[in-house]
Amino acid sequence: MGVLSKLYAYIYLRGFRIWSSYKTQMVLNVLSWILPVFTYYFVGTSLGGELESFGISSYTAFVVIGLAFQGYVSSTITTISQRLRNEQLYGTIEYYVLSEGGVLSFLIYSALWGFTINSVNAGVILGIGELLHVDFHVNVLSTLIVFALLLSSALGLSMISAGFTMLVKQGNPISFFFSTFTTLMSGTVFPVTVLPSWIKDISLAIPLTWALEGLRFTMLEGYGIGGVLGIVEVLLLFNAVLLPLGGWFYLYSFNRSRRKGTLSEY
Amino acid sequence: MIEVDKISKTFRVKGKEIRALDKISFQLGKGEICGLVGHNGAGKTTLIKILSTLIVPDAGEARVENHDVVKEANFVRKLLGVMTVSERAFYYRLTGMENLMFFASIRGLSLSEARSRAKELLEMVGLLEWKDIPYMKYSTGMARKLALARALITDPPVILMDEPTLGMDPISSREFRRLVESLGRNRTVLMTSHNMVEVEDLADRVVILNRGKLIASGSPRELKERVGTMKLVRTKMPDSRLRKYIVGLSDQYFILRVPENMNVEGDEVSREPATLEDVFVSLTDEVDSTTNRSRGGGGWRRWAS
Ligand SMILES: Nc1ncnc2c1ncn2[C@@H]1O[C@H](COP(=O)(O)OP(=O)(O)O)[C@@H](O)[C@H]1O
Ligand SMILES: [Mg+2]
Repeated sequence: MGVLSKLYAYIYLRGFRIWSSYKTQMVLNVLSWILPVFTYYFVGTSLGGELESFGISSYTAFVVIGLAFQGYVSSTITTISQRLRNEQLYGTIEYYVLSEGGVLSFLIYSALWGFTINSVNAGVILGIGELLHVDFHVNVLSTLIVFALLLSSALGLSMISAGFTMLVKQGNPISFFFSTFTTLMSGTVFPVTVLPSWIKDISLAIPLTWALEGLRFTMLEGYGIGGVLGIVEVLLLFNAVLLPLGGWFYLYSFNRSRRKGTLSEY
Repeated sequence: MIEVDKISKTFRVKGKEIRALDKISFQLGKGEICGLVGHNGAGKTTLIKILSTLIVPDAGEARVENHDVVKEANFVRKLLGVMTVSERAFYYRLTGMENLMFFASIRGLSLSEARSRAKELLEMVGLLEWKDIPYMKYSTGMARKLALARALITDPPVILMDEPTLGMDPISSREFRRLVESLGRNRTVLMTSHNMVEVEDLADRVVILNRGKLIASGSPRELKERVGTMKLVRTKMPDSRLRKYIVGLSDQYFILRVPENMNVEGDEVSREPATLEDVFVSLTDEVDSTTNRSRGGGGWRRWAS
């Protein structure tokens, strides 16, 4: 099996070693995590009490949770699509097909690296939140459950997106949607209730919207599992659809590429 | 052991059909090194990739150590060491050692196995002193050796290599050949090459593809005997069909190198036994179809004069 060696390979070597070898990129990455927190913090303070009418008691707390967890979906999806595209151009993808565990293993471990780097990101943002006096009341168990469901739905979406990358090469619609629209639609920096109703309906079709709402309950209000049961059920439903659909589509895209001879760039 | 049985593959690109392989059959046993040759676009890479489970054939069957490359793809993958053409297929910012450890880990070796295997292989291909140098600093020769090392990670019984010596200098490629020769003693090796000297030196068997069809196969000796003796003929204006035989030209004459039984007008200069290159030139079409078409008929006379 060699899980340890795969973690070493994917997370340390291909993940951390390469990421940290681009020093400027690394600094910019970290800045891009931190700066939005302050931007929205000042937006919040300048608007003052206005936001309370939308049912938000502390805007800073709202934003901190939103920014800390949004990356798990958008950046994992785009990272994996870009990753796959590069491996295709370089021709390394063929060695993943030949590897133990094959392309599914490639996807899961690549997502794991995405999750790892996002967890550093989330940690930094939550830490800043603490400094900005966000009043956390965390129920660990229910937080972990919602968090796990968020990750697995991100995995499902990543597989669909990666499948598109294999099939259409350029212009991946899934990756585009999630990198561009999540901040707007999933209640990251403002509640979805302010959106026009038809956009709000779309936002309800994104698992992140539900997960963020759930995490705000479990991390700010200390809700137990009973308090977020409805949200957990919806997330389970997303997973029940996204994981099998994603897995099927992802493997289909590879088999199709093997028939067309387009695994690596032709 | 490799068995290829009436393998065919047609690619479809924008409604156009390209018949890359047409009912190819041959067999290779353990201990055999086979050179797969043919002009650009003959179908060599497609065949190597089908055997590597990276392309699915349309028809026919292929087996590696008695396992079907389509139906038992996952099992076959464990038996293969593969070296693709791409020199880009490593991580540039990782060292040679790290790259090998990476690919060893994803092939299922444990961390300690991966480390010792990587060292062993680097030593074997002569890269040990370069092991901590980033891959991006490697020369083509070093890069190709690292790719060979990667192909050997699982100590596979069957090795498939696509143009392994492409871009190597003569000394590196000679070293490389000796390495492959020793590896081939108890394995089955199939490799493509455009270098006929290399194939003649290394291969026990040669398979020649021409426009997706297998046109000849046998030991280099058998193939050379089939073509026999070549004669060098000095002639004024050769027929355009003969242009692939031109080996020299002066102001007034062309020198042709043709099989002795071929009727060509001109003065015979000398006779020599056929080389593998002569076999290749005599049996395959002039150039690959695309360049032929774009150059247009008769154009060769212009470059010749
Ligand atoms: N994925 C593909 N899609 C379409 N055509 C392809 C593909 N792969 C190869 N071909 C075509 O098939 C023929 C054989 O190609 P290839 O096997 O790469 O030849 P070789 O390796 O002998 O140069 C060529 O005409 C090539 O253009
Ligand atoms: Mg080729």
